[in-house]
Amino acid sequence: MSAAAARGPLLLLRMVAYEFRKRIQFRAGFVVREVLNGTVEPLVMLFVYTALYGSAASLAEGAAEGEEVALGGWTYREIIQYVAGLVVVRKLVFHNRALDLAPEIFEGRVTKYLVMPFRFFVLLQGRFLQFTLMQLAVATLAWCIGFALAPEVWLVPVSAAATLQAVTLVLMGSYCCFLVFFILNAMAFWLDVIWSLLVMAWFVIGFTGGALVPVSQMPEGMYEVLSYGFPYWMITAPIELLMGRLGAGDFLHGAALVGGQLLALDLLRRWVWRRGLARYVGAGM
Amino acid sequence: MSARSGTGQHATGVDAVLEARGVRKVFRTFERAPGLRGLIKNFVARDHVDIAALDGVDLRVERGESVGLIGANGAGKTTLVKILAGIVPASSGEARLLGRDSFDLRDAEKRRLALVMGQKSQLWWDLPPIDSFRLLKEIYGVGDVDFSERLGRFSSMLEVEDRLKIQLRQLSLGQRMKMEIIGAFLHSPEVVFLDEPTIGLDLISRETIRRFLIGLAEDRAATFVLTSHDLEDIEETCRRIVVLDQGKVAFDGGLTDLSRRVTGKRAVEVHVHPGARIDEGALAAGLSGLGAEVSGRSAGSLTVLVSADRLAALVPRLFSLLDVKDLSVERQPLEHLIREIYRRGVDGPAGGPAGGPG
Repeated sequence: MSAAAARGPLLLLRMVAYEFRKRIQFRAGFVVREVLNGTVEPLVMLFVYTALYGSAASLAEGAAEGEEVALGGWTYREIIQYVAGLVVVRKLVFHNRALDLAPEIFEGRVTKYLVMPFRFFVLLQGRFLQFTLMQLAVATLAWCIGFALAPEVWLVPVSAAATLQAVTLVLMGSYCCFLVFFILNAMAFWLDVIWSLLVMAWFVIGFTGGALVPVSQMPEGMYEVLSYGFPYWMITAPIELLMGRLGAGDFLHGAALVGGQLLALDLLRRWVWRRGLARYVGAGM
Repeated sequence: MSARSGTGQHATGVDAVLEARGVRKVFRTFERAPGLRGLIKNFVARDHVDIAALDGVDLRVERGESVGLIGANGAGKTTLVKILAGIVPASSGEARLLGRDSFDLRDAEKRRLALVMGQKSQLWWDLPPIDSFRLLKEIYGVGDVDFSERLGRFSSMLEVEDRLKIQLRQLSLGQRMKMEIIGAFLHSPEVVFLDEPTIGLDLISRETIRRFLIGLAEDRAATFVLTSHDLEDIEETCRRIVVLDQGKVAFDGGLTDLSRRVTGKRAVEVHVHPGARIDEGALAAGLSGLGAEVSGRSAGSLTVLVSADRLAALVPRLFSLLDVKDLSVERQPLEHLIREIYRRGVDGPAGGPAGGPG
């Protein structure tokens, strides 16, 4: 491998190391941002579902003895496992606050990268890679703690292959999120309301992926539509793979869908960045 | 040669590192009418205005030249640097760096370029400078031996060897700027843009940085483009001066020529006792005899411009004409200088020979 060709991966590793140092330099910030992140919504879901299934059970007193109440094809026990899966899966999803590109564009701080002999996107890919590596460790830790505390209800993957398939889909979806947030951040070349767009996008991606309600529990028509989007294959589908509700055929179908969307988003990312640079004024240099 | 066409002398050179031909940059912004009505109208439909930051700039910089770019705020000097360095595109005209369209630079050209911005940090804020330098080493592909040698030499020249491992944000402004300069020179660039590198620094830091830049300029065949409001920065480090005014080149020539023509003026600020009556007729007559003129007034003070060689005669005359409370003498303010250069350029030949030294 030539020196120039070797420099690319080496540079990416340097960026990962740089991002890693940035993330862990403040301990409190690290715990709040990286460890506690994504734990509140599942807790809220737990309370809501406990109340819902409690009401449903009292309404279905006529049901056969020992028969579990199912809402939208999900029993209470499965929903608890889903919530457990959500705690782990959401840790791996690149979130809207992990990319502070818009202020850098708006305040002209990207100028320095534009005169450097490297693609600025490599720096951001380094951030994505650092995020993913760190969150894989945090998610594993979260799963172990959950399993140690409540082994009878905690989600245990049906097989190693299912785990691998689920992680692959989550990471592909996470990269799609990264691209979506990059594109929205790059809108700072035109707009100054990026924060609002990011918050809206985060909510929409979360909802359409199943962060509040499993997509397969939603009405049939809605499920049909949402199952074409990468958010579904990033949140609901991987958990269903871990639970054994989906199989290898579904994984391949999902991987193809998400792969296509990933490529389309990457093309859009390149186009937006090029158009944006042509408008860049480098405020204050 | 007219001051505004002062680049013609370079047109025959073959080793141009930077070139601007008829570069024009227009920024579109919108105007808002005042009041509630204006607010509502602006919400529905905006009135756009085009502001020309650069208006047909021609410039040619040869290899090894050190060019000082000066101008008042809004004159267009930073915009010109941004265009030449490939950060923003020109609206029209042509800008080239190392023979290639500035806005389409490849990594090969970028590796030979450096930019230091006095008002924006190039280095990573959260890291100690040594980590940023290592990152830059990878980005620019600097070899281990060169990296160690240059880092040791530059940090010693700038007297910051003991600050390399301290987080950038914890360093003083002067130390940060020295680190910025080290970072910019680690890859031994051929073209260096320095935008206000000494802004906000104390005298000692300024002097250290100037010495460093002069040393590098003499050692190597690097090309420097320095923008600054501080004439001393320019005088000490550059041999060619380009003055921009309202987006146009108002002067392009050697420092000696500029000094001879315009920096020979002094601004005398006279503070008079409150309530003191000024005999305007006598003042005008007394000043005109020395070729001096009142260039500005404010409550209790006035500024008088005079040639440096007539300063000694002017001071006693001011005491005889005015009830002087205090008096200070400074170089002619930069803004006045530029206005004068531009006026001369517009009114007639006075810009001096273009280019020259380098």
